[in-house]
Amino acid sequence: MTGRGLRRTLAALAAALALAASAAGCVVVPQNRRKHLADPMMRFQTDALEAHAHQKLYGSREAAAGGDGTPAGGGCACQ
Amino acid sequence: MSPLALLALLAVVEPTVPDYDIESLRVRYTQFAQTGLGYQSAAGPPGKPGSEWLRVEQPQAEVTARLGERVTERIWVPVDIVTAASPDHSRYGKPYDAVDTVTTASRTTPSSTLDTLTIYRVDRATDFTMRAAFHIEEPFESWIVGLGASRSFAEDNTVVGASANQILDWFDRFDLDGNRHGRATRSTTNVNVDVTQVLSPTTLANLSYGGTLQAGELGNTWQSVLLMGGDRGEERLPGHRWRHAAAARLAQWLPWQGALTLSYRLYLDSWGVAAHSAEGALAQRIYPGVVLRGSYRFHVQNAPGFFTISADPMASGFRTSDSDLGPFHAQTFGGAVIVDLPVARREHDLHVDIGYERYVRSDNLRVDITTCGLGVRF
Repeated sequence: MTGRGLRRTLAALAAALALAASAAGCVVVPQNRRKHLADPMMRFQTDALEAHAHQKLYGSREAAAGGDGTPAGGGCACQ
Repeated sequence: MSPLALLALLAVVEPTVPDYDIESLRVRYTQFAQTGLGYQSAAGPPGKPGSEWLRVEQPQAEVTARLGERVTERIWVPVDIVTAASPDHSRYGKPYDAVDTVTTASRTTPSSTLDTLTIYRVDRATDFTMRAAFHIEEPFESWIVGLGASRSFAEDNTVVGASANQILDWFDRFDLDGNRHGRATRSTTNVNVDVTQVLSPTTLANLSYGGTLQAGELGNTWQSVLLMGGDRGEERLPGHRWRHAAAARLAQWLPWQGALTLSYRLYLDSWGVAAHSAEGALAQRIYPGVVLRGSYRFHVQNAPGFFTISADPMASGFRTSDSDLGPFHAQTFGGAVIVDLPVARREHDLHVDIGYERYVRSDNLRVDITTCGLGVRF
């Protein structure tokens, strides 16, 4: 990907994040109607230890680690 | 003041140590068993890719405790025991004999991290976090510090978070003959932002972005590149790398006591690597406290322009034969059984899970992952 293409993609991502942040409050579900959202099955990751195991696999076997709240590379000889 | 009066005073004045409650204890054991071939490995016939066989045993332990009303402390210790961290070297005609760093020193590599996370609750809607970690393995040390903050809005329907991390790696530099040449360093600076939004009483969405800048020695220094004619040379990588990852996730509650989570992740970096990853997981409660989960992930990536499996020995530019940097697609299939049971008159929760996943790459690398976790929440 060229530098210009990369910048355009990043600008689109920033716009999407800004749009998501500005949408705060557009939907307000009261707490007493959020019991399903609190169910452990609704978590994006089951627990931090299992997430680390996945990061270990994908961070060391793929060239696309990073983001997701964690740095890419570092801490090992991974790509 | 008489000793008796002092004792009386000590009995009246209560110590000001904050309440200390252990909230949860968790342990997990994961095994990775990998097979496959890669051109960066010299553990094969001359001019051909070498073995990437290895096994990782990974025990982890985590304690979360609350100190007073505002502070939560998480201490986490993952340990990796890696067999054949770098494959045995065949260029000496001794495919399974010791040749220091690329064989004996890394035939079994234990590594460990001590990772602490402190969460300070400023008010009902705002948290600050501070992370400090240290990682050690032969011949590699790493220091990690991080700061983060999150704030909820609209009656907790929206949560916005941001974090930054800095890592400094310090490791031995080796040549392909296994000779040590002092130390190398690597710096990794990372920032993340994310937004989680309730979309309905049964739907949750999350958007995130992470940017990372790496500088310094970005290889492991002993990885080889296959040259024209069958010999091997050293890997040469750029000294900087900008990495960007953005992800969108959706969790949907299903009316038959199930949940569907979907995610898509886009990755771009300054080496020219672009990758797309899509993942889905379906969870179904089959009995109170018992959940079955199935998952699937698809990943595709291209290679940087300097990836090669037959490098010109006279060329002076960047080059790598690392199969992890090559063009491939990968699939992960998995399943798990998760049990959460109330114990001790429902005052505590006991969590047990066991799972299996198979990671298959189009370049014939395979990893079997078996994991089991045990936890108690007080």
